[in-house]
Amino acid sequence: MFAAGGVSSSLGRAFLLVGIIGSLFGALASISSARSRDRTVARLIPRFAILIFAAAVGAFATMEYAMITRDFSMAYVQKVGSTATPALYNFAAVWSALEGSLLMWVLILAGYTVAVCFWLRKKMDDVLANWAMGVMFIVSMFFFLLSFGPANPFAAGAPGVFDGPGPNPLLQNHILVMFHPPLLYLGYVGVTVPFAFAIGALVTGRVGEGWLLATRRWTLFSWGFLTFGIILGSWWSYEVLGWSGVWAWDPVENASLLPWITATAYIHSVLVQERRGMLRVWNLSLLVSTFSLTILGTFLTRSGVLNSVHAFSESAIGPWLLAFFAIIVIVSIGLIGWRGDRLHAPGSIDSVVSREGAFLINNVLFALFAFVVLLGTVFPLIVEALQSRSITVGEPFFDKLVAPIGLAILTIMAIAPVLPWRKASAELLSTRLFWPAWCGVGALGISVVVGATGFMPLLTFALGGFASGSALRQVVLATRKQGLRGLVGRTNGGMIVHVGVIVIAVALAASNSFTHSQELFLKTGTPAYFSGHSFELIKIFEETTDRAISVKALISIDGGKAYAPAITKYTKIGMNIGTPSVKTGILGDIYLTLEPPIKQDSGEAHIKVFIKPLLVWLWIGGFLMAIGTVLAAFPGRRRKPTDATSALIGSNDVE
Amino acid sequence: MSTSNKLNNKYSWIFMAAIASALLLFGGLRDSGPRSQQDRIDAITSQLACPTCQGESVYVSRASAAEAIRAEVARQVGSGLRTDDETIAYIEQRFGSKVLLLPRSTGIDSLVWALPIAALICGAAALGVVFRKWRTADDGDPSADDSALVDAAMASDS
Amino acid sequence: MLSEKKVKPVAPIAATVVGIVLVCLLWVLVGAKPNPSDNADSPLLGQPAPAVVTTTLEDKPFDLSRRKGSWVVFNFFNSTCVPCRIEHPELLTFAQNQLSTDNPAELYTVINDDDDTAVLAFFAENKGDWQKIRDNDGAIAVGFGVAKVPETWIIDPNGYVRLRIAGQLSEGLLDEQMSILKVQFGS
Repeated sequence: MFAAGGVSSSLGRAFLLVGIIGSLFGALASISSARSRDRTVARLIPRFAILIFAAAVGAFATMEYAMITRDFSMAYVQKVGSTATPALYNFAAVWSALEGSLLMWVLILAGYTVAVCFWLRKKMDDVLANWAMGVMFIVSMFFFLLSFGPANPFAAGAPGVFDGPGPNPLLQNHILVMFHPPLLYLGYVGVTVPFAFAIGALVTGRVGEGWLLATRRWTLFSWGFLTFGIILGSWWSYEVLGWSGVWAWDPVENASLLPWITATAYIHSVLVQERRGMLRVWNLSLLVSTFSLTILGTFLTRSGVLNSVHAFSESAIGPWLLAFFAIIVIVSIGLIGWRGDRLHAPGSIDSVVSREGAFLINNVLFALFAFVVLLGTVFPLIVEALQSRSITVGEPFFDKLVAPIGLAILTIMAIAPVLPWRKASAELLSTRLFWPAWCGVGALGISVVVGATGFMPLLTFALGGFASGSALRQVVLATRKQGLRGLVGRTNGGMIVHVGVIVIAVALAASNSFTHSQELFLKTGTPAYFSGHSFELIKIFEETTDRAISVKALISIDGGKAYAPAITKYTKIGMNIGTPSVKTGILGDIYLTLEPPIKQDSGEAHIKVFIKPLLVWLWIGGFLMAIGTVLAAFPGRRRKPTDATSALIGSNDVE
Repeated sequence: MSTSNKLNNKYSWIFMAAIASALLLFGGLRDSGPRSQQDRIDAITSQLACPTCQGESVYVSRASAAEAIRAEVARQVGSGLRTDDETIAYIEQRFGSKVLLLPRSTGIDSLVWALPIAALICGAAALGVVFRKWRTADDGDPSADDSALVDAAMASDS
Repeated sequence: MLSEKKVKPVAPIAATVVGIVLVCLLWVLVGAKPNPSDNADSPLLGQPAPAVVTTTLEDKPFDLSRRKGSWVVFNFFNSTCVPCRIEHPELLTFAQNQLSTDNPAELYTVINDDDDTAVLAFFAENKGDWQKIRDNDGAIAVGFGVAKVPETWIIDPNGYVRLRIAGQLSEGLLDEQMSILKVQFGS
């Protein structure tokens, strides 16, 4: 088992084995402590958590060491390592393919396990905490097993190999590749924590509100990083892939979006449970779905069942992931069914037109959203399994169905923040929504004046204006009452996140509906014109590094700053990659790509120009969401320790 | 905000709705100008799937097969002989139905459209039922567990 | 005594429904195989072949319609594609064997997304003196619906497409199929 391969291989696998054993015993200790309430056993739990974290760090460090020292005795280094790759990209090459990214999953999961353990350090004799730790250990054990067995990154490679092709060239030419996967994984893997507590609550029967509040920040943390990771991925896609878009409804993108959808529904729906103790089944189902979807998503993209832009290879891990998914779903549904009686809500929703009603409608809308995305992703698979013919379900399908759902969500986003709990009268609504509604009409007016056409984009702009009016109303009222403190806390931070979402929705509508492109054949010295801009080819030049030869065309836009789209040939792999060059502006981006064939001495360049309206606002919106999430994580008014558990938590609601 | 209260009455809302509808109709129905050839090419290639990459459209993909199809579409749009649908049909005749990004509405493929609509109707119906029930339900009936607890306590008291 | 109200078993019912749906999904996914390779079907089988007008590597004109009267075999090729290189000896054998038949099929290599020098270098090294024709912009590939190389197509003397082989040619496959077709469609 350890014989083949060098010392690194054996060391790495040894670490993973320690991880497996550590998580197995950690799980046993947790469950035993939960059932027997034995404090000596409970004291063991943190030790196992630290052990598996050390094992995960050790395994990951061994992999990085092998990659940095270019240890080509390992198959994985042979696959993605190269003497020519620069140090930074080489470091990131570890997570550029399946086995290494699973190792990163193990590392982050072990990190979360030990972090949760530290957070629970004073409550280790609590039964629910024990069960939660048990679940964390079991999930960790599964991933350690995957990394030890079917997706072994430390496997020995063919002898006599002294260099490799390096990671896929698309993963070597932009610094974002360093950040997008780890940050996304922080979110993706992080949803294990609320899931573990959900299982703990179901098993112990303590399905009340206490554990929800306690895990709020964990959920927000994971959700925040998941959001941030997805946005970074879109940014990378825009900067690198050369088709000027940010989202292609690719199966891997969908796999990361699905848990985000259910997690977003959860963080809203949980407010109803905190306030009124209702929607418990919804909340537990949403949490369970979020975690299950991460496993399902990993299965769909890693098993080779579907192919996509970044599904790395067919692998033996498919059956394992599917089996794990099946177990999670069956156990969770069983638990929810078993505890059904305790999940019956003590109260009921009084009126549709109330915040509870709005959140319930929100849940249904998001569930529909997730259903559409999941259906579109697996439908080709289903048809292929049933009829043995291949069909494709692509962007137009998702755009057509998701757009109306998006509009409905924008509408709810506009109305819900002004809705009071329990019941609202028409008079109240019309007072509070008056100015936001005029904002919407104003936004509609501006769009029409600026020249926008088409019902869907115009509706998006109008509803966006309406919803942002509503969100800003809340923030303005809160800051008037509390000064700067009015920007902090769940409600106000949440409103800023909403504004970020609205900005993103508007930017997406604008760039999807109003993008125009043109192919231009430029000759040095003669400018060409498109969409009110001039493009002049200044020169074509070549840049050679030891891993690639880039042919770049220097193009001056509107007689000003020059941009250089390129075609790069990676000599080791023999792949040609186009690299776009983007001029960013507040009202829109000008996106340039260089089309092959390009000859350096010809003085001619065939380029494609894309005009992307409002595209930079996607990133501004993302930034606002990040700020809002951080603000929302701050406590609002503190809970008094003498309050009953079900007392209203201090909220920044201004009415 | 007394100005606000004075302005906020039924007529303001009707006025607002009228303006909004007018703007929406005007903007939605007006002509966005003639489509350039490149716009037509982009629209057509957005509906075709790149045959070697699962799920990506020809518009998005940078694969060589996608480049070839883009070139063919550009040729056909340039010649002006075919409409968008005819060009798409031409490509479909060569590559098979897997090159269509929007599943057809026949046979089992139509499920991909029917199921979301069915889900929407179910969701809306369920919401309707639930809301109606809640309006007429009485609060505070105890669960079986709670009843048993109370019974036990009362029995031990007496 | 508090009246006992039967709690509606919403959760277990919902759980069962979701469970059933998921079991179906899992059953389908378990049965799903990773993508099958393209089958050799094509909407063009039995139809007139698309028009092919281009130039050969020697810059002579080539027009498929003028090849009527002979069997024509198109092999879509790219010098960097590994299966193309592996199947090359098959083509050599096939070309050789055809010379001894009474109606030899004409073999053409259709260059797919490659430059002339690379192709010439390949054939210089690996032999094969049949005509190689250019496919500018991939028009011929799109005409036939060829997305991935290698692919081999057989067109009968009347200009109708009779066979499509997607992927690498296995040993003797081309000779065998050619004989079958010649018998089936006469001469």
